Amino acid sequence: MSYSKEDLRDLYDGVLPWHKTFEIISKPKDDDRFDKYVAFLQERVSYSNKILMPLGDHLNVVAKDGERIVKCDCGYEFGDWRQNWKLNALVLSRDDTAKLQEIYPGLKCPNPDLCEVREFYCPNCGSLLKVEAVPVGYPIIFDALPDIDSFYREWLGRPLPDEKKLEDMTYAVTKNWGK
Amino acid sequence: MTERKGIGESGKTLKQMLEEDDELYEATGCYHGITDPRVLAEDPIRGELFHSRIMASLIAGRETTRMVSGSPFVREVAELCLGIYTPEGDNIAQSTGIQIHIKLMGDNIRWMINKNYEEEVGINDGDFFISNDPVIAGMHAADVYDILPIFWDEELIGWVSTVIMEMDIGAVSPGLMPLANVERGTDGIRFCCERIGSKDKLNRDFEHKIDLCLDMADIFLLDRKGAMAANIRVREEIKRIVSEFGLDYYKRATRELIEEERRNQIARIRQRMIPGRYRSVVSAEFPMANQPVAWIPANKDHIRLIPIQMDVLPSGRLVLDFEGTGEWGWHPCNGTPQAIWGAASVSVVQTLSCDGRANLGSLLPIDIKKPTPDSLLNPVQIKKLATSTPWAPLLDVFGMWLHMLGAAYYLRGFREETFNYRSSAGWQMAGYDQTGNKRPMIAAGTGYFGPGATGVCDGVDCGGWLATPEVDMGSVEVWEMFVPHMEISRRFDPYSVGYGRFRSGVAIPVVSMIHRSQQLVGSGALGTASDGIIPNLGQFGGYPGGRRNTLLLRYDNLPARMENRQPLTHELGHPATLQERFPGRVHDCGLMPAPTELFEGDILANFNAAAGGLGDPIERSTAAIRTDLDQGLCSEWQARNMYCADVSHDGQTKEWTVDEAATAQLRAAKRQERVVRGVPVKEWWQTSRKKLIEHAIDAKLLEMYRSSAKLSPSFAQELKDFWSLPDNYAF
Repeated sequence: MSYSKEDLRDLYDGVLPWHKTFEIISKPKDDDRFDKYVAFLQERVSYSNKILMPLGDHLNVVAKDGERIVKCDCGYEFGDWRQNWKLNALVLSRDDTAKLQEIYPGLKCPNPDLCEVREFYCPNCGSLLKVEAVPVGYPIIFDALPDIDSFYREWLGRPLPDEKKLEDMTYAVTKNWGK
Repeated sequence: MTERKGIGESGKTLKQMLEEDDELYEATGCYHGITDPRVLAEDPIRGELFHSRIMASLIAGRETTRMVSGSPFVREVAELCLGIYTPEGDNIAQSTGIQIHIKLMGDNIRWMINKNYEEEVGINDGDFFISNDPVIAGMHAADVYDILPIFWDEELIGWVSTVIMEMDIGAVSPGLMPLANVERGTDGIRFCCERIGSKDKLNRDFEHKIDLCLDMADIFLLDRKGAMAANIRVREEIKRIVSEFGLDYYKRATRELIEEERRNQIARIRQRMIPGRYRSVVSAEFPMANQPVAWIPANKDHIRLIPIQMDVLPSGRLVLDFEGTGEWGWHPCNGTPQAIWGAASVSVVQTLSCDGRANLGSLLPIDIKKPTPDSLLNPVQIKKLATSTPWAPLLDVFGMWLHMLGAAYYLRGFREETFNYRSSAGWQMAGYDQTGNKRPMIAAGTGYFGPGATGVCDGVDCGGWLATPEVDMGSVEVWEMFVPHMEISRRFDPYSVGYGRFRSGVAIPVVSMIHRSQQLVGSGALGTASDGIIPNLGQFGGYPGGRRNTLLLRYDNLPARMENRQPLTHELGHPATLQERFPGRVHDCGLMPAPTELFEGDILANFNAAAGGLGDPIERSTAAIRTDLDQGLCSEWQARNMYCADVSHDGQTKEWTVDEAATAQLRAAKRQERVVRGVPVKEWWQTSRKKLIEHAIDAKLLEMYRSSAKLSPSFAQELKDFWSLPDNYAF
């Protein structure tokens, strides 16, 4: 099972005819998807660093100077993938009725005493990278910490050079902020 | 004394078989110790035929129940399914229908085995057992399991089980999913794997009991007869299969089906996901302050955190951890560790194991860490507590888990498999129906909501990527015969949506007018525990849908309005102006309306909200925006403010147009605005931290954090580490 580069491009762009989209959804999955996906993403970014792991819309973990960093499509760098990239973003916290009602008018508005809707932006291109709706005071969520080395070594069978220890480095940053 | 001969294989007791089954899995990591599955592989055609025969019998059994039952839950919604089990209670195959119960039905069987039913209660050919206790296994007490053993030459070779959601379980009014109850006795009738029939007949004493205890005894008993008919039909077909294929083949092939599925599931995980750690959180709100309960200490609003961590291990196993979950409470929504498996089952079966071969093997690669004792998901005071509705917070948990699975698929490139789910809530009632019978009622649909966007298209409107009963409640006309109300609206609500590059599906509010009841009480019906804190279901730059509302609309003078032939309200319209437009009072009743008397002409409304959008809304294609405008799925305000599209409407042609150049300018300006309006996270962090240190957040939230920190030192430490709080800090 394998799909053409063009079909996958159209699938991701949301313009593949529905009958083909449905076929891709319902048939057994294609084993070569990851490599084609990365190639698709690589063509659309402004930088030449090799994409190691997609992290969501506009964000990828890339190889740079022996390190793995999170990078926006526009080229903005958020730092090591093991620390939550959101710490280096801009944030708009919708924490009062006025700001929440810009999105959720009237009856749809969450309770501003309880709920905070955080929007994380790329400081360079202004893309909205993540919306987080959580109770006030909840730590910023570290949505995904991919085990890149295990993936390449054990699932793809082609280990990456410069393997890194998988650990959450977020708290080292916030600890420093608290000093 | 001669040693007692068991009813299992080779004279073993079921308990011996169960112990051996567990030991074999423990020792080999393969189901039933099958390290070399070969029977199915040796003759694949025969294997396929064998599986198809089993599946066909289950599906036919399900349809049999639908023909016998008189309940709209069964006939219209089809909220039932059947499963076939090994002697130890391991699922071999499940029929079409909701995929929650694969393990739960088996856990009821395992419970009977572990309680030594074989010797102390007796298990005979033709015995019927029923159970509906979520403490044993189940998602809520309204789900009733009907279980029948299958014998072959005096040997128990398996079980068949049917599950049906009931309309009446004799709970405190109003409800089949009661909310104004906090003690176990008010949950309704409990059946703890009890024998209700023998020799293929329902016991008369059971029928008398149901007749006396339930308002809807006829519906309940017809459901039992429907389940019995289905179970017997499946049992007889299994016997035919055994006689055709041979007993040895049956035993070996059924177990290989489980082991084959276990291996396939691990292969799917390794093919479609990325190993690593995924996190999110669910907030469960319990507005109990105004609930009329006898146990007065329960009258306290409170919120509980359910942090969720999914680890995808390099081995291909999934580990779910709820460390940090807050304490149980006096409400009926306490979960049980067993119930979590229902949520796990529906999530993985419908996203990973959707080839018709799902069974216990689909769940064997999943580990659920047992939630902390005394937590919302593992209360130890289980004998005192109501547990009739664990469904509510657990639906939120599995909606969120689907979201996390979706992220893992997205990272791997399978964007088409990414989606999330959000359930809903609404009204249920008790009182006198149109024919003068007093009974509990659910006010038809809490559903008609929109699921989350996928990574390649919008969420389907008014439906579900995931087949749960709420996404199709069946024919309104049938429900109107069962409930004294008229549904008076069917219109998409654009404001229900979760915005994004791909938006969520759009929901349809449920708007019903009370009609022809002499006396009626309404209260909440729960499929969610989210209210003021909306669920964290925005994927990447997409937003979650907003707050959902349970509304009571009461006209100032309905008779005069009708007499004067003035129009009634059929649409809820813009959520900010409903009170201005409605000629009467709009009561926003919150998540769990306390029991309220209802009157002729009252309008009950569920103003739904969808799951989440995916991606930055200002990247949405203008063609999609124009289509949504033309179809009434998007308002001009939303097009301009959420999608930054310069749109205009031609009153003559009734068509919308989008100015591409002006839209590009609006979108560039929005990006600039974000960079100006956003602040560095460090700056925001310092302000938020100060509020926490000064305890300057809502008291309910402080109590929520205290509750989680009390049960989980590691979660408390994470909170302190993130906010860099002093070691002696207390919430």
